Amino acid sequence: MIYKILLVLWMGVIIVASFFYSEAAVGFPGQTSRILFFHVPQAWIATLAFLLSMIASAVYLKKRTATADHVALSSAELGFLFCVLATVTGSIFAKATWGSFWNWDPRETSIVILLMIYGAYFALRSALGDPDKKRVFAAAYSILAFATVPFLVFVVPRITTSLHPEDTMNPANPGMDPRTLRVFLGSLLAYTTLFVWMLRLKIRLLKIEEKKDRRFI
Amino acid sequence: MKDGLGFVMAVNLIIWCGIAVYLFVLDRKIAKLEKEL
Repeated sequence: MIYKILLVLWMGVIIVASFFYSEAAVGFPGQTSRILFFHVPQAWIATLAFLLSMIASAVYLKKRTATADHVALSSAELGFLFCVLATVTGSIFAKATWGSFWNWDPRETSIVILLMIYGAYFALRSALGDPDKKRVFAAAYSILAFATVPFLVFVVPRITTSLHPEDTMNPANPGMDPRTLRVFLGSLLAYTTLFVWMLRLKIRLLKIEEKKDRRFI
Repeated sequence: MKDGLGFVMAVNLIIWCGIAVYLFVLDRKIAKLEKEL
């Protein structure tokens, strides 16, 4: 309970700091660079969630425990949600900097492909009736789906010319303003804690559903 | 308040408060269901 209250307060601090503590980055129109504090952590959580889904799927295929399947499904759902949020915030940034919400930039195109791949994961789950078959097929698909993530998130946008900013937004860049770096790292922490909270809620909900289903059988 | 930053920040804070309240309510409802089962 304490970490949830701390998260609510911490996220509030991050929101205020992202607008009034850090300075807008040079080379971006107006205040648009401040989207860094929301867009990048959302993309980070999407990648983390898809990775967790892949690990839990591998565990499920080895041990066949319901908990592993619950973690895999919950992570994939949250990964999809944060991927959509990253796409929406990215589009807002694109409109302000490049003049259009959608430009079919390599990064925009690769995130759409990623969303379609994980959309198919949910379609697969809902298409299969037999629970055991569904879990095995979904686990195998989740592992295959994650194989595309490093390629679509890290490789494609780097091997082609992209409008997407790279070095300015990279925390490893020594030129990054220390205040911006502090708020950015704080935001990553807040989003990761939020993901843990949401993930635990979803897993608990799936456990309840499973218990109810067993009662009816 | 430069470039309407205060307004955007307020909108962000309101959205965050809404999400936080929703998550707390959901948390309590799930805890109640867990007790019932």
